[in-house]
Amino acid sequence: MKKDLILNKNYLSYWLRQLRKEMQLIGPMRGFKGDFVFKSIGQIHEISLDCPASAPLPKEFVFPHVEEMFEKVFSEQEIKDLQNNDKRIIFGIRPCDMSAINLIDRFYSSKFESSYDLAHPNRKSEDSYYMARRRNTVFISIGCNNPDPTCFCNSVGTGPFLESGFDVQLTDLGDRYFVQTGSKAGKTITNSYRYLFEEAQRQDYDDQYEIMLSALTKFEKRINLEETRQKILAGKVRDSFWEWVSTRCFECGGCVYECPVCTCFNIVERTETDKSPRPPLRAMAFTKGGQGGIKGKRIRIWDTCFFKGFTRMAGGNIPAEKKVMRTKRWWFHKLLYYPEQFKRFGCVGCGRCTITCPGRIDIATISQKIKVEIK
Amino acid sequence: MTGSNNNIYMPFKAVIEEAIDMGCNVKFFKVIPIPPHPPLSKGGRGGFIDYIPGQFFMVSQWGAGEAPISVTSTRGLQRHIEFAIKKVGAVTTVLHKLKKSDTIWLRGPYGNGFNADAAKKRDVVFIAGGIGIVPLRSLINFIQMHKKQYGKIFLLYGAKNPSEILFKEDLKAWNKKGIEITLTVDVKDESWKGNTGVVTGHLDRVKTDFKNACSYICGPDIMIEKTMKELTSRGMPDRQIITTLEARMKCGIGKCGQCYHGIEYICTNGPVYTYEEIKKRRVYGP
Ligand SMILES: Cc1cc2nc3c(=O)[nH]c(=O)nc-3n(C[C@H](O)[C@H](O)[C@H](O)COP(=O)(O)OP(=O)(O)OC[C@H]3O[C@@H](n4cnc5c(N)ncnc54)[C@H](O)[C@@H]3O)c2cc1C
Ligand code: SF4
Ligand code: SF4
Ligand code: SF4
Repeated sequence: MKKDLILNKNYLSYWLRQLRKEMQLIGPMRGFKGDFVFKSIGQIHEISLDCPASAPLPKEFVFPHVEEMFEKVFSEQEIKDLQNNDKRIIFGIRPCDMSAINLIDRFYSSKFESSYDLAHPNRKSEDSYYMARRRNTVFISIGCNNPDPTCFCNSVGTGPFLESGFDVQLTDLGDRYFVQTGSKAGKTITNSYRYLFEEAQRQDYDDQYEIMLSALTKFEKRINLEETRQKILAGKVRDSFWEWVSTRCFECGGCVYECPVCTCFNIVERTETDKSPRPPLRAMAFTKGGQGGIKGKRIRIWDTCFFKGFTRMAGGNIPAEKKVMRTKRWWFHKLLYYPEQFKRFGCVGCGRCTITCPGRIDIATISQKIKVEIK
Repeated sequence: MTGSNNNIYMPFKAVIEEAIDMGCNVKFFKVIPIPPHPPLSKGGRGGFIDYIPGQFFMVSQWGAGEAPISVTSTRGLQRHIEFAIKKVGAVTTVLHKLKKSDTIWLRGPYGNGFNADAAKKRDVVFIAGGIGIVPLRSLINFIQMHKKQYGKIFLLYGAKNPSEILFKEDLKAWNKKGIEITLTVDVKDESWKGNTGVVTGHLDRVKTDFKNACSYICGPDIMIEKTMKELTSRGMPDRQIITTLEARMKCGIGKCGQCYHGIEYICTNGPVYTYEEIKKRRVYGP
């Protein structure tokens, strides 16, 4: 019990300033138009501690929207691996997002789940780009004393405070932070500046407990995803219901782009010429020697199962052609397949899709509808 | 650096030893990988890459992109890795421009591959539609090589028209070796004296006890579906009906999500499935 620490709020910026000397510091800050973003921090005072829980998405730093994979100068034989190994510290990530990253870790580091790959039974298949970034990133997460009205992490067990799965977790106790370390990396960044921290006392533990209880009472949403899952499994949610849901979908992809759990991507190729530094998307008429350009990049980019092209094959055959199939795919992936594969929902209750979805068919709203309308 | 690091997306180089136009927009490639290349697993002797029939490689050309392409060669029979690639779009068009001694990039082998053991001691019925002969060729040769362990071998192969029948040399060789071949085309021309119509219409020519035989199917989706149903109605158990499915895939290793169907990643759990498995995973729908 004695291992937790206390950090006086006055020391926070000093601590972060020191850490920034060792690695890139990322934190939430206000953008030009007043919205919040996670960004590389230049001045410590730019960090917005009042940022709402579910506003920006820090997933970008371990799984960027666009990741450059390889570069090749066409006249040369070798290729350059563009894997990013920068050391980063991400300050202010919320427990739901931290839980999502823990889930992505399991997915991207998982072995071939092959029923029988006869030639290579134990081949590793770790996603190199994600894991390289992940191994070089330390997270300082902050528990949520004041959850947003859209949050329902407490219903899925991913917040508002974490018991494990964090590097460092801070709890705001008013004038000081309650500091827990949950990993080797977390211990390193606190132990190196141990003189800034005090040992937590009985009173601190009591205060932290109080804060936690009070946070739990502030949730406005109670979403029972397990009940929804059971109803789907029992076949109670009929296709006509999914049809209705899908008619409200604009296929904007917002729910996937904003979701801290989604991991799907596309791989495309770009070529650069002397004249156009802005590369055209994929050179069609390229052959050996680089007629289409002098340099090419293979990049990967977020993709969305709500887009029709997501499953498009050669000859234009689209397996998930109907919108309802894509709607179901999203729901089934999050509520049926994730639990089967990882014993967890593919949703951490961050509520972002509730904020984003213009059709109001986000996971919370529809789950609630299923609860009320489908017996 | 190529192939020597841990980046699973890193392709390795291969040299094209032969590139032959097979007609009807299909080009045949014989390639030799240049070491170092991963993975040389337990069977990968003598610097050769180990793979089994039904597996595929991500084949690429820089500037164009990657495409999943099945092996059509059989390890132990051919020294090279062989592909037959149909020109259908952006990547395959660029691949078609490659000639002898050009470099081609590969990643793999991926996928589960055909379980040839399922057919041991049984009659084997291969059913191919169009380009579907490509992955089956690898398995036909494999089973032919070990034919003592199997019963009679049949091949039922349908193409759109006579000129789209691929691997005519192989067909002759197989015929000589005792494989019973039935060819059929959708549209005949003057030269064609043989069968017409879809493959399922010619199953009567396969003189076997369907309950005990094992079947490997590859072709367009509709053909696969029809054939599986037809075989079922002839009493073949679901477990002995084996097919290989196609899906859009970008990574080949269960990460990009594009081939995700139900709980299955077709690239890693598949692309080869028994009818039994297909029915089971369809429980979930999309
Ligand atoms: C396991 C497997 C084995 C295959 N084996 C062969 C083979 O031996 N010979 C052969 O000719 N073809 C084979 N194909 C199909 C081949 O991969 C596609 O024809 C090819 O990817 C089309 O790419 P494109 O860029 O030329 O077409 P486009 O239509 O321009 O493709 C656009 C994009 O969609 C993707 N895409 C399109 N169709 C497919 C598809 N069917 N599968 C996966 N991704 C697709 C491509 O990667 C491309 O980026 C196989 C497919 C799979 C899944
Ligand atoms: S499904 Fe919606 S609420 Fe759940 S984690 Fe994704 S964005 Fe957040
Ligand atoms: S399939 Fe859809 S819901 Fe599942 S991870 Fe991919 S984008 Fe997200
Ligand atoms: S955010 Fe809503 S409208 Fe947009 S793709 Fe997702 S479900 Fe459809």
